[in-house]
Amino acid sequence: MSPLLQGIVTVIVGVGGCVGYFFLSNLILDKVIFPPRADNPGQNINRANLVRPWLFLFPAMAALGLYLVYPVVGSFWRSLYNRSGDEFIGFGNYSVMFSDTGFQTALFNNFLWVLVVPASATFFGLLVAQLTDRMKWGNIAKSLIFMPMAISFVGASLIWKFVYANNADIGLINAIRDMFGASEPLDVLQLRFWNNFFLMFILVWIQTGFAMVILSAALRGIPEETIEAAIIDGANPFQVFFKIKVPQIMGTIVVVWTTITILVLKVFDIVYTMTGGNFGTEILPSYMMSYMFRDDGRATAVAFVIMIIVLPVMIWNIRQARAEMR
Amino acid sequence: MKARFYAGAAALALCAGMAQADGHQPFAVGEGDFNWDSYTAFADKYDLSGQSVEITGPWTGNEKEKVDIAFSYFTSATGASVNYSGSDSFEQDIVISARSGSAPNLAVFPQPGLAADMASQGLLTPLADGSADWVRDNYAAGQSWVDLGTYADADGADQMYGIFYRVDVKSLVWYSPEAFDEAGYDIPETMEDLKALTDQIVEEGGTPWCIGLGSGAATGWPATDWVEEMMLRTQSPEDYDAWVANELKFNDPKVIAAIEEFGAFARNDAYVDGGASAVANTDFRDSPTGLFSIPPKCYMHRQASFIPAFFPEGTAVGDDVDFFYFPAYAEKDLGKPVLGAGTVVAITNPSEATNAFVEFLKTPIAHELWMAQGGFLTAHAGVNADLYADPSLKAQGEILLNATTFRFDASDLMPGEIGAGAFWTGMVDYTTGVSAEEVAKGIQDRWDTIQ
Repeated sequence: MSPLLQGIVTVIVGVGGCVGYFFLSNLILDKVIFPPRADNPGQNINRANLVRPWLFLFPAMAALGLYLVYPVVGSFWRSLYNRSGDEFIGFGNYSVMFSDTGFQTALFNNFLWVLVVPASATFFGLLVAQLTDRMKWGNIAKSLIFMPMAISFVGASLIWKFVYANNADIGLINAIRDMFGASEPLDVLQLRFWNNFFLMFILVWIQTGFAMVILSAALRGIPEETIEAAIIDGANPFQVFFKIKVPQIMGTIVVVWTTITILVLKVFDIVYTMTGGNFGTEILPSYMMSYMFRDDGRATAVAFVIMIIVLPVMIWNIRQARAEMR
Repeated sequence: MKARFYAGAAALALCAGMAQADGHQPFAVGEGDFNWDSYTAFADKYDLSGQSVEITGPWTGNEKEKVDIAFSYFTSATGASVNYSGSDSFEQDIVISARSGSAPNLAVFPQPGLAADMASQGLLTPLADGSADWVRDNYAAGQSWVDLGTYADADGADQMYGIFYRVDVKSLVWYSPEAFDEAGYDIPETMEDLKALTDQIVEEGGTPWCIGLGSGAATGWPATDWVEEMMLRTQSPEDYDAWVANELKFNDPKVIAAIEEFGAFARNDAYVDGGASAVANTDFRDSPTGLFSIPPKCYMHRQASFIPAFFPEGTAVGDDVDFFYFPAYAEKDLGKPVLGAGTVVAITNPSEATNAFVEFLKTPIAHELWMAQGGFLTAHAGVNADLYADPSLKAQGEILLNATTFRFDASDLMPGEIGAGAFWTGMVDYTTGVSAEEVAKGIQDRWDTIQ
């Protein structure tokens, strides 16, 4: 079977299966289980209407349960066992982990990432959205800034590996230093502590476009009257931006910020590709990777810690997004 | 639904296999001094048309081209297609694919330690009965290769899982004969001479060494070779074995001393091209290029026998570049220890064609086809040594034979978590300035959590 044919068959089976399920289950409910005949048809119709929502919710619930709830519970359970999974050790993995310097470094770095990346990406995105809003070539500028979004993390890392290269003939940074007369090339990926920021910049570069697009749309949605009123009242452009525009799109800013935060807590490929977690650049997901398939107890414990950190951000994100919808 | 998917996937895999055309075959069957008899005997025995063998391994780029050529003869002999895919992060990839049930048929492990890990988890299939006897009879120093391919299965019983295809000699120092002649340097015969030469080069304004540890997610591994060489040159082979088994602790003064022996070279700004800070992040594949620049950026590069694969295009080994044995201390009386390694092929997903492929690896021709392309050494005693692509490979074969002590790469024998993890990152930390004691203690701590 050719891949094309296989794709088509998959789509037909998938879509057909969904339609078939809803149609048939509905039919069975109405005609077989609670048919509006017998002694009290009215009550049967009411009963069927009580069951119907559950019938329609069931596939989504089942999928969520199987692919989300069960793995979370299973992972937590697994993290209470030793490396090979045959001995219950309670919270042993967690206590060993929290006293491990590698974990502390990863936690600290991750904290830096969460602090810096979403804030910078959102800030730059907002800046660009505002500045390009009324320019003639604003759309071209926007397209250019949006482009990195299309590059995978690994691809972007490889590009930046060249920018950071420890060689004045290849690396942009070292070429510039060379121009100003630096004698030795500098390997920025080995500057402990600061190298984290060079890695973060890659993600900021990718995510600024995302923030820009969303915030740009939000800025356009601000009612003109409020801005006109402010200008008539003698507000300067800065006041208009910070006191009129930003408060009105605050909800969107929070959604963008939290969305990027969630992404930051998942990204390991940048660290993995650029430094392999060496030179003190380990973050939680890459730290987890170094234990994965070797000491699954530890790895799942790290995974669980990541989840605990993501949870509040996620809840906030969903709430804000809902508030935006209203 | 699920069954349909699998059937589709299987059909897909088959189509992909058929679509893949055989690469051109540079050696015509029946010509040259190859052992074509073993090829025809093998071809007569098997007809596997329409089947395919999936293989993953660590060989990429130039090496993959050679592998594809060598393996294409399996296809022409049996009709079964071979799909070899190489990955720089093979160590991670194979574990993930085996655990997720999407393992290839065969995996080529650069580390017996990792293969042993997977065997103990029941992810490997033992070789056919009699394989151990065959290796013992047909490989030079056969018993050591049997031991290196034998691991405990999930029930703790020893089984023969791996057959070695390709051996590397590690104890080599690469240099440019031209640069040596111009400067009037002699090949050092002892470690004392080597250190004197290193200092002499610095005095005369040159840089003696090129060292690079970068290797994607495996960054740090070349440093483990240095430490192993120093272990063999400062301690007895028994100590080395004890170190591999962790009976000699990683933070034992003997091991720390060996790490510092490496540091004496790598952590000295004057000794290394680009300074000590360049060591950790220079890709090991780019590292030797300094030998070939004019004036030379460095004079010596310690690396295993596979490295010519990464020399600049058109480099002639023997003329533009040559090697000498990484010498031992004259005063320590430890003979001439040689460090080596090899890639071991093990079955991750059995099938008829897979078993046939393992049999193919036992034929001399399977080894000769890569030998003739260069960058390949073998312990198979049935091959024609004249087929080595150049005299230097033959010479490396001799180094193997002349070793008073032969030891396998320690990091490849240690548990994957250490040998392909903590040891690597520890060495990166060490080269970037962390003390040897601290690094060794960190590695030992990680080892303690395993036991």
